[in-house]
Amino acid sequence: MADIQTYSHDAGWKHTVLRGLLYLVLILFAAYYLFPLIVMISTSLKSLDEIREGSLISLPRVVTFDAWNYAWNEACVGVECTGIKIYFWNSVKMAVPAVLISTFLGAINGYALTKWRFKGANIVFALLLFGCFIPFQVVLLPMSQVLGKLGLASSTAGLVMVHVVYGLCFTTLFFRNYYVSIPDELVKAATIDGAGFFTIFWRIILPISTPIIVVSVIWQFTQIWNDFLFGASFASGANAPMTVALNNIVNTTTGVKQYNVDMAAALLTGLPTLLVYVLAGKYFVRGLTAGSVKG
Amino acid sequence: MASLTLDKVRKAFGPVEVLKEINLAIDDGEFLVLVGPSGCGKSTLLNLIAGLESSTDGEIRIGDRVINDVHPKDRNIAMVFQSYALYPNMTVRKNITFGLEIRGVSNQERDKAVADVAKLLQIEPLLDRKPSQLSGGQRQRVAMGRALVRDPDIFLFDEPLSNLDAKLRVDMRTEIKKLHQRLGSTIVYVTHDQIEAMTLASRIAVMKDGILQQFDTPQNIYERPNNMFVAGFIGSPSMNFIDATLVDDGGNLAVSIAREGTTIVLPLFEAPESYKAYAGKKVVFGIRPEALTHKRTGSDEQGSQYVNFDSKVEVIEPTGADTMTVIDIAGKEIVARVRPDRAPTPGESMTFSADMSQISLFDPETELRI
Repeated sequence: MADIQTYSHDAGWKHTVLRGLLYLVLILFAAYYLFPLIVMISTSLKSLDEIREGSLISLPRVVTFDAWNYAWNEACVGVECTGIKIYFWNSVKMAVPAVLISTFLGAINGYALTKWRFKGANIVFALLLFGCFIPFQVVLLPMSQVLGKLGLASSTAGLVMVHVVYGLCFTTLFFRNYYVSIPDELVKAATIDGAGFFTIFWRIILPISTPIIVVSVIWQFTQIWNDFLFGASFASGANAPMTVALNNIVNTTTGVKQYNVDMAAALLTGLPTLLVYVLAGKYFVRGLTAGSVKG
Repeated sequence: MASLTLDKVRKAFGPVEVLKEINLAIDDGEFLVLVGPSGCGKSTLLNLIAGLESSTDGEIRIGDRVINDVHPKDRNIAMVFQSYALYPNMTVRKNITFGLEIRGVSNQERDKAVADVAKLLQIEPLLDRKPSQLSGGQRQRVAMGRALVRDPDIFLFDEPLSNLDAKLRVDMRTEIKKLHQRLGSTIVYVTHDQIEAMTLASRIAVMKDGILQQFDTPQNIYERPNNMFVAGFIGSPSMNFIDATLVDDGGNLAVSIAREGTTIVLPLFEAPESYKAYAGKKVVFGIRPEALTHKRTGSDEQGSQYVNFDSKVEVIEPTGADTMTVIDIAGKEIVARVRPDRAPTPGESMTFSADMSQISLFDPETELRI
């Protein structure tokens, strides 16, 4: 008994030191990653005069949201000085349908591939999986041709289609791996109960898919919202998504470089994905492990 | 309710034949148990009846209706699954009525049906819970409720009790039996548990490797197994098999067992005609543990024909009601069932009685009953 007590006392002391070290390292890493964000936020809250006078890392003396207002309503994107807000809505109009459609199609694919195994299901799945590894750049030219032929070039609808097609592989993978762990007997029972393919999907499979839907939505939303290449290639001008507009604001060379406006615009662009993570982040981790580790 | 007929049903997955010419027929209200070791094809056979898989060949009839090409939902069957397969997103009430709802039964009728079934299975307080809030036994009841509510021609049970703990399994077994007696419905029940098969069935189909080994009443299967597989599979502890020779012992046939220099000769009093052809040949002598007991005399029980022999006891395994006594005969461990107060100590020698009216003889080549 005494032995054990000494031992645990010893371990307790070492434990505290090691813990302390661990936290120190973690805090340093966190600071390293958070620092740019802090600089961005503080710069965006300064006036242009203050930026010119002070150092980069000093906190704002007077907090002002002028830069945010200017970025949202007045900033010049190329020659149009309408602010970033119309491009924000462009991004919303692109991301929301693309996320919903690709998630929905991924769910149906995953359901069909696991619960209604048809001949060649494995080959279809392997080909879809292959799609996950195709880099963006490879599909640019063929995609622009297809969009041109469909009459969807330079439109938000075209961009939605591109993101749906490209995202399908990932969403199918997510849902397929999640549905593999759902017992087939559930589908058999519903079949005997008289339900068909879509009834089973709507009434039984989809309602128990919340964790993987969250994963798919977060993944797809982040991918699509943050995408620059497709946006820049397939939707120029007034239809461009926010990422492209941000690039244009930052790269506008006339007049003074407005760092505070650039920072505010960048933060505005990053805000939606950040929000999605904050709101649904814990489901993301949970769902990701549920979906990918099994099967 | 209806009869069920399987006529030369075959099922193959590619070149692998999992069911070979199954012929079965049960009458309206019968309780058929499909039993066999895992991989024998019993669940596949059930899936064929349910319509979840299609047969390669042969005909399946419910009543007079051929159902080979009928969709599962139109076969008027209901199924209880091993994992219960309750819809996790629905309440118990919804689970039970889902099938009715799909079939367009009115709200009013659905409520009434649910109330009746819930009363029958005593699950009324659970109706508004989700499956995740239920215990294993309760889920089992709900799964049965889902089947019962539809009032189908045939109930199909796919190892419904194997996920329950031992005590609950016995309780539910009795309950299923009661339910069958009350409703008089036709049931096909799959299990790998031979005790479940014996207790529940009105007829048992024993299967192995996709072949129907025997199809008969429980008592017939127990007393007159078709072959050594059925004999060994049904009954616990299982039947003892001893290599022996059938000899002519002064006009009477007898089983002669060679044993360390000596032989045990067990005379057969009323040998059937079929034994004659095997006189002088090798046979496998099968005797159940309960037919092999401590010393008795012929007058102990009517119709029994006791023959005594001595043997050394190797191991004893008390079960409370009886003591299983392991003896060594010709290098084989043989289990005898002895009354606890007559149980020997290991290493001791004692006299055993074999009831020769309850034995089986098998052909050592074909393993078939003689």
